[in-house]
Amino acid sequence: MGKLLYELNRVCHLYGDKKVLDIDTLDIPAGSILGLSGPNGSGKSTLLKLLAFAMAPSQGKIIFNNRPEAPMSPRVRSRVTLLTQKPYLLKRSVFDNVIYGLKIRKDTKNLKQRVAQALAAVGLDFSEFYGRSWHELSGGEAQRVAMAARLILRPKALLLDEPVASVDTESASLIRRASLAARDSWGCTLIIVSHDLIWLNQCSDTRISMAKGRIFSTLEESILPPPYEKRQGGTIKDLGNNEYISLSPQTGSAAVISQKQIKISLSKEEKDGYDNQVTAQVIQMILEQKTGNILTTLSMDNFLINLSLTREQVSTQGLRPGKKVILMFRSQDIAWR
Amino acid sequence: MEFLASGFLKAIELLIRGDASTWSAVSATLQASTWSMLISLVFGLPCGFALGYFDFRFKRQVRTLVDTLLALPTVCVGLLVYAFISSRGPLGEFELLFTLSGIAMGQTILAFPIVTAITASIIENIDEDLKLTLVSLGAGKRNIILTCLWEVRFGILAAAVTAYGRVLTEVGISMMVGGNIKYHTRTITTAIALETNKGMFADGIALGIVLMAIAFGVNISLSFLRKR
Repeated sequence: MGKLLYELNRVCHLYGDKKVLDIDTLDIPAGSILGLSGPNGSGKSTLLKLLAFAMAPSQGKIIFNNRPEAPMSPRVRSRVTLLTQKPYLLKRSVFDNVIYGLKIRKDTKNLKQRVAQALAAVGLDFSEFYGRSWHELSGGEAQRVAMAARLILRPKALLLDEPVASVDTESASLIRRASLAARDSWGCTLIIVSHDLIWLNQCSDTRISMAKGRIFSTLEESILPPPYEKRQGGTIKDLGNNEYISLSPQTGSAAVISQKQIKISLSKEEKDGYDNQVTAQVIQMILEQKTGNILTTLSMDNFLINLSLTREQVSTQGLRPGKKVILMFRSQDIAWR
Repeated sequence: MEFLASGFLKAIELLIRGDASTWSAVSATLQASTWSMLISLVFGLPCGFALGYFDFRFKRQVRTLVDTLLALPTVCVGLLVYAFISSRGPLGEFELLFTLSGIAMGQTILAFPIVTAITASIIENIDEDLKLTLVSLGAGKRNIILTCLWEVRFGILAAAVTAYGRVLTEVGISMMVGGNIKYHTRTITTAIALETNKGMFADGIALGIVLMAIAFGVNISLSFLRKR
């Protein structure tokens, strides 16, 4: 692992009395791309706000570039920037929006040229757009202007919170391309929150998932998300359709199983103490360009599990989207976090 | 209703002829209201920003007090200011009673809570994403405050116009603190009250037209600025 840009150790964040983030440890190497996914309310946006130093964690410290840093520190203000799903454009022209960050740093050399470059990076023509007012832009154009306003700062870390969730296909493609170009051009570290698993799998060096404010390694562990129920003297997760998962006695807030412990079968089998045998349907298969594996998304009634399968596994089982399979795993292999 | 029509015609005549007492009242009104607005904006804007932006102890109570002061009766303000600046009051030595400065002082007390309360509401309703955007673009505390104020400039302008409307049309303070002295502290509203009492409807209507014209001019300016 190269030089670390971020180091988080025992970082917790609370809104009132409610703990929304609880991270034991998270290291993010400089120049890497970290893909972050998880259900709504899992703590992804809170984590990004902390990493952007837009607020301080309730407990713990965030080390940036080998120094513990806090919001408003001049060392992070010029180096970390966050783009949200619905960014706020200032009530002024495109040009003034893009140069805002530079102006407050009093960095005003070659502004026209730099704005032209930043706009070009997101597919906007300088002469056509620089004089336009904020309210004369479509949603996709506004998002691209917001992206340009961040790229012009050449940040060390660019945090993207669902940046393409509410824009058209062309804008999404341009924003994706511009963010990757930032990494390739000046070694910008990218931390991307997205539900677009194809994009995350294509570009991420590391993938993590979040649930209940905790992080999990996406390609190693799967979360069996709450709610859980006490039934038949133990804890279960009800899947509907008369199926449920038996869990080990509850000792944490989220049940997790190592992906290695999950076996895929075409029919239920009576063997090796696999007390959990539940029906799942393949809904998506994506080629992982870095490993050559097939990231297979399976739906179990009300939640999804992603499994990284070898090509042999896929072809032996004849897996394809729409096919129903049986997922087999032991309750004793389920851990609690 | 005939007297209204003839009063209107005479009003036009008075204005065109440049009647000294009419224009003296207009001048006194503009002087007192301009000074009171300037002072209440200088103090009201930062106070409103602080009240809307920061969290502090007793914030809710302060907010309730400021909101209550929005309904401050002008005669109560007049009475209070009169007590303070009369020869027996703590500010008696400054000889502000029956002066335009005294009126401006009372009108400032009237306008200050309006500017403060409306500014606080505007700041409270600022888009949550604005601050996050500013922080993520590297803004410091000073930049955040100034940019937030600039982003809500039209709302603040509306606050100023609302306060100006209240100041421009009040009678109680001008009458009690100014004393309605002709060619000195007689404002448009006190003049209208006096002329109407005397049965001089034409003069009253003339002054009423001027008052409406000033309010109209201020609103036209506001809509022009909004377009920009």
